[in-house]
Amino acid sequence: MVDSISTEPAPVALDAEQPNSGPAQGLRLVVGWHVAGAAASVAMMLLANRSGDEELPATIGVFLRVFAAASFAAHVAAAVGVSQRRRWGRTVSLVVSYLVFVVAAVAAVHQLGGFTAIGSLGEGLSKAVVPFIVVAVGLLWVLVAGQIGASRPAAPGPRQLRRAGWVVTGIGSAWFVVAADPTGMLSAFFERIVQPVTIATLVLALVAFAATRFMWNREIGRIFGTTASVERTLTGLAFLSPNLLGFLFFFAGPVLFSLVVSFYDWKTTGTGRSFIGIDNYVEALSLDFASASAPGAGVEVLKANYQVLMHLDWFGQNWVIGARDVTFWLSLRNIVVFLALAVPLSVLPALGLSSILASQLRGMKIFRAVYFIPSVAGVIGVAIIWGQLFQSTVGWINYLIKRAGDLLPFVDAPDQGQAWLSSNSTALLAMVIVFAWMSFGFNTVLYLAGHQAIPKELYEAAEIDGARAWKIFRRITVPQLRNTTFYVLITTSILALQLFDIVWILSTPQPGGPDNATMTPVIALYNEAFKDNNRGYASALAWVLFAIIFVFTFAQFRRDREGATGGIA
Amino acid sequence: MSAVSFSGVSKRYKDGPKAVDALDLDIADGEFMVFVGPSGCGKSTALRMLAGLEEITDGELRIGGRVVNDLPPGDRDIAMVFQNYALYPHMTVRENIGFALEVAKVDKKEAKQKIEDAAELLGLTEYLDRLPKALSGGQRQRVAMGRAIVRSPQVFLMDEPLSNLDAKLRVQMRSDIIQLQARLGTTMVYVTHDQVEAMTMGHRVAVLRSGILQQVAPPQQLYLEPANLFVASFIGSPSMNLITSEVSVDGDVVTLSFDDHRVRLASGAVERYPGLLDRHGSEIIFGMRPEHFALAGDIDVLDEQIIDVDVELAEAMGAEVHVHSTLDVPPVSIDGEMLDPDDDSLADGTRIIARIDGIHVVAMGERIRLALKTHLAHFFDPADGRPLR
Amino acid sequence: MSVKRKGPRATAVRVATYALLITVAIIVLFPFVVAVSTSLKRNTDIFTYPPSLVPRTVTTVTDPDLGLENATVYELPGSDGQFALVESDVPVAEFRRIDDPEVIIALPPDQGVETDRTTVVDGDEETIYLVEVDGSEVEVFRARLTVGGLFQPLDGEGDSESVVELVNLATPERVFGPRFENFSQVVTEKNLGRSLTNTVLVTIAVVVGQIVTSVLGGYAFARIDFRGRDRLFLLYLGSVMIPFVVLIIPLFQLMLQLGWTDNLVALIIPFVFTAYGTFLMRQFFLGIPKEIEEAALIDGASRATTLWKVMVPLARPAIATLATFGFLYAWNSFFWPLVIINSGNPDNGLLTLTLATLGGRSSTDTNLVFAGAVLAMTPPILVFLFAQRYFVENSASSGLK
Repeated sequence: MVDSISTEPAPVALDAEQPNSGPAQGLRLVVGWHVAGAAASVAMMLLANRSGDEELPATIGVFLRVFAAASFAAHVAAAVGVSQRRRWGRTVSLVVSYLVFVVAAVAAVHQLGGFTAIGSLGEGLSKAVVPFIVVAVGLLWVLVAGQIGASRPAAPGPRQLRRAGWVVTGIGSAWFVVAADPTGMLSAFFERIVQPVTIATLVLALVAFAATRFMWNREIGRIFGTTASVERTLTGLAFLSPNLLGFLFFFAGPVLFSLVVSFYDWKTTGTGRSFIGIDNYVEALSLDFASASAPGAGVEVLKANYQVLMHLDWFGQNWVIGARDVTFWLSLRNIVVFLALAVPLSVLPALGLSSILASQLRGMKIFRAVYFIPSVAGVIGVAIIWGQLFQSTVGWINYLIKRAGDLLPFVDAPDQGQAWLSSNSTALLAMVIVFAWMSFGFNTVLYLAGHQAIPKELYEAAEIDGARAWKIFRRITVPQLRNTTFYVLITTSILALQLFDIVWILSTPQPGGPDNATMTPVIALYNEAFKDNNRGYASALAWVLFAIIFVFTFAQFRRDREGATGGIA
Repeated sequence: MSAVSFSGVSKRYKDGPKAVDALDLDIADGEFMVFVGPSGCGKSTALRMLAGLEEITDGELRIGGRVVNDLPPGDRDIAMVFQNYALYPHMTVRENIGFALEVAKVDKKEAKQKIEDAAELLGLTEYLDRLPKALSGGQRQRVAMGRAIVRSPQVFLMDEPLSNLDAKLRVQMRSDIIQLQARLGTTMVYVTHDQVEAMTMGHRVAVLRSGILQQVAPPQQLYLEPANLFVASFIGSPSMNLITSEVSVDGDVVTLSFDDHRVRLASGAVERYPGLLDRHGSEIIFGMRPEHFALAGDIDVLDEQIIDVDVELAEAMGAEVHVHSTLDVPPVSIDGEMLDPDDDSLADGTRIIARIDGIHVVAMGERIRLALKTHLAHFFDPADGRPLR
Repeated sequence: MSVKRKGPRATAVRVATYALLITVAIIVLFPFVVAVSTSLKRNTDIFTYPPSLVPRTVTTVTDPDLGLENATVYELPGSDGQFALVESDVPVAEFRRIDDPEVIIALPPDQGVETDRTTVVDGDEETIYLVEVDGSEVEVFRARLTVGGLFQPLDGEGDSESVVELVNLATPERVFGPRFENFSQVVTEKNLGRSLTNTVLVTIAVVVGQIVTSVLGGYAFARIDFRGRDRLFLLYLGSVMIPFVVLIIPLFQLMLQLGWTDNLVALIIPFVFTAYGTFLMRQFFLGIPKEIEEAALIDGASRATTLWKVMVPLARPAIATLATFGFLYAWNSFFWPLVIINSGNPDNGLLTLTLATLGGRSSTDTNLVFAGAVLAMTPPILVFLFAQRYFVENSASSGLK
């Protein structure tokens, strides 16, 4: 079979890749490449065994060994498969070469400082703001001209306009490069490119790329007796690969890693990184109930290591509830209160308003747009504004309450302005208000989508039956929007459970204050992870939080599977 | 060389029956082949396998002698017109027609010439710079054709290209396509569910049912010599009347009885279907096309070839009148399927349609005498649907 | 509901409806109005009571005759017209009326005529004085002797008498006067300019990256029937359930290993791969008639050509949606930047980060902070207003499916 192939003239694509050699020659080279790869994997394995790198935790060492073993196996399989012209040989070879190419190319870019150079790009950009704007205008110009051209393709005007846009963009780009002054970056680049490690990775990347290109070729595929199904799988994976590799590296891998870390006593300071099983979870979740003879009893009635979480007076019996991580439990209590207040406050107005906006009255689109603005404006800006509104002496909220007290006899305005954010009793309420204000507009739009799914005939039938607006709302709109309501409740709850930014900006005197009155689970987690450097424990907190959130997600998932799409089609 | 050959080609979807079952078919170079059949018969699947849009589960498919089973569509040197035309909405007519040339990196000047030639041929010259949405249905259809012919492929594939057009335009386009194919001389595989299209357009017609090829023949032969009951009932409009009848053979005289009628067959019928002689006492299926009837006075037949029927519906078509009536015999089914599942009237009897001369005025409820041209009739075995030849 | 009714009742309902809608709109917009007004104020103008929406400036006067140069113009209680402070630390007596102790009359100490009568105020025995107010004599008591200011009327003739008044009772006269320098000041002095360019850079990179990976991945999921596709898709679907908090610690650890902490790249690369964007594109690609793609394949186009020349132009609306969502996400993101940009080097700051630091608990220069906040909020609001169509159509499907 091989002989008959090699007598055929080499396809054009191969000529470019492997001058003066037929496919057989190329395939021999590919086999050689895989053999070399297998040898390199063995070397890597030995290296991983030898190195007792303090910084590398055991898991990573294991990971490295597994990786080397897999790489070895894959290279050997590829070498065997290709030399025996097995159909799977080409697939294995392609996958291995491609992955090696990606890893080596990324490593090369890393070695060259290509990634961290993005930071310097910010500097270049700040030096060249004006040319940057010119480039942006040029691109926008091209886009607009393209849109005009799309509706009237024959007209020469738009085409010229488009060309002019490209000219502007080009001039802007040139100016940008000059203004941004990339000489520093370039010299750093040349400095690094001559390093042996960089050269090695670059060469590896090039070889792997050449092998991939060569094996990808359809003619080669035919030698291996490829089928349409195999081709399709390879194509599909090739298209998905940038996405999938990134997804695995920056999402799936870290998530698994997080799960592992949560079983470790993992501190960034000191060297202690020991496996402690579920101790982190025990620490986070432990509660102790103790009865006390007198109210106000303290730590003394609780087990060791427990702090007082709260006192309870239950039918005359005094109880003390203790927890090992009081802060986390307080944050859980806060978030429950927050959910109970914020979710209805951001969902109910949305339900009502959407019913009005769904009518065909004039100007509804404007209102819809206005209501949506808070949810896009950016939480930091919004929190800053509300911080000022809540200001106790000159803030608008107190002022308006005072004015209302002057005008309306039943509003009892306190003489002294309420210190919204620094008072234990109102700080969380302030967060609720900001959250609800930010999110009700988005929920309104979700509801509007639900409204569109309600058959108009229902309303017409109800009107013929003589039902009044309120009755129609109660008996038709609300039940018909049940699925949407469910969806909105769930998504809002999931959002609320992860409350962070608003509190981070608004709470005082430190995030979560005063006296943990606005402490949320995510802030507790942040403090553990990045203030106290308790990464293992913080990971456990993250998974506890995930479990809570998952209850909500799962409810939505179940409902979706039951076929109720929540009016969200 | 652009002959197409299916040999034992099958398509099986995951956990489903075979959509196409061991199709054997040779299409000659330059032939206009029509695939026809009811929906779900596998005709489109067969075409899509030819196009490379569906994988071939089994068998071998050749275009111009080359096995193309695992060739991607673009490498098969074919062109296809889809039912919904599948024009690229964001491209002008010119870009649509020229896309294949652009992909093939044909020299720009040459491509321009080819596009304009194709447009000229199809009368699209003045629309070249319009977007598809600015065109009428017929114009879009022609753009789809233009996209196909500009590549001068080995084979044209057309998947119900006329079904989105109104009736008048369809007739017009039908003849346009026939002329186009004749002029270009390119092999054409044309899929349709419309048997009129099949009969008028194809050099040969392949009738499929449930993934199985029933018969391949020139249109007239298909009509005159159906290979089985299905082909007989599928080809022709109104379709062939199929009447379950009992045979009695007396020497060389064959008599059929159904309902209250006894019909003596003309000797020509027995000559064409000698198998009848072996069927004494058993049931067969008696196939009469509507035009095999006439009013008793119009033609000269034996009295035993005349039946009296009640007119349930008379459709005056001008040149002819379609007379509907019901015979009290169980309806015919093929492999357990009703021939026309939409027609409820079949449940309690066999509906027959007779085509009689248009000069007669026939009223509903009237009782008329129909003469049967039995020498033209067809006879089938009810068990396997084969003709009793 | 779609029928337009007439009659007084219907009109009343409609008026009430609009009143409600407008009230809510005011609740929504008022904080933004406050933000814009505060961003144009002087810092001293922010902390005045009652709060005001009008950015005001203190009027000043320059009068060589009186020896005044850019002197603040005051208004005094009980006197009309404008005054300027010409001398401070003059002795002043604070008298209060016997019949209404709330009323303060500030005069030079010698202008009160002491009587021999006394009265009891709040349990203290006080000597009664007589002072002249608007030409009539009033009985007062002297609450305290202190120092005040000597105020010169500005509108009258040069000989008009100057007035002694307690300085805290004199209010500077304020007139409308927005301070646009707040914006340039916050950009240059507070280094917000650098944060702005960084944010722009990160946002563009994230949006472009997301579009590229999502288009490729979405196309593969929608249109290429490769082996293992459905299982991989389920994996993507499941990933949506994992909240970001779970990811934050390991991702930080990963950035540490890569040496990407405190670098903008940490804000870009990990966020270029988005399951949500992949879904969005997949959904859209599924909606494009299959035949259009098949036609392209038959025309000899490769998958890549088909995607680039046929599918991507058709997917423009979906790409626009993805771009707007990506823009908002990247522009407004805070938690991750807070974690990863941790050295405090202002050159790596983002708008949100810098604003949070500026507007934090120990903030001064509230006007500048608000100018920054307005700068930060304007682009997303503008993007939203222009791309509204895509939002309203796709917000609903953003979560699932």
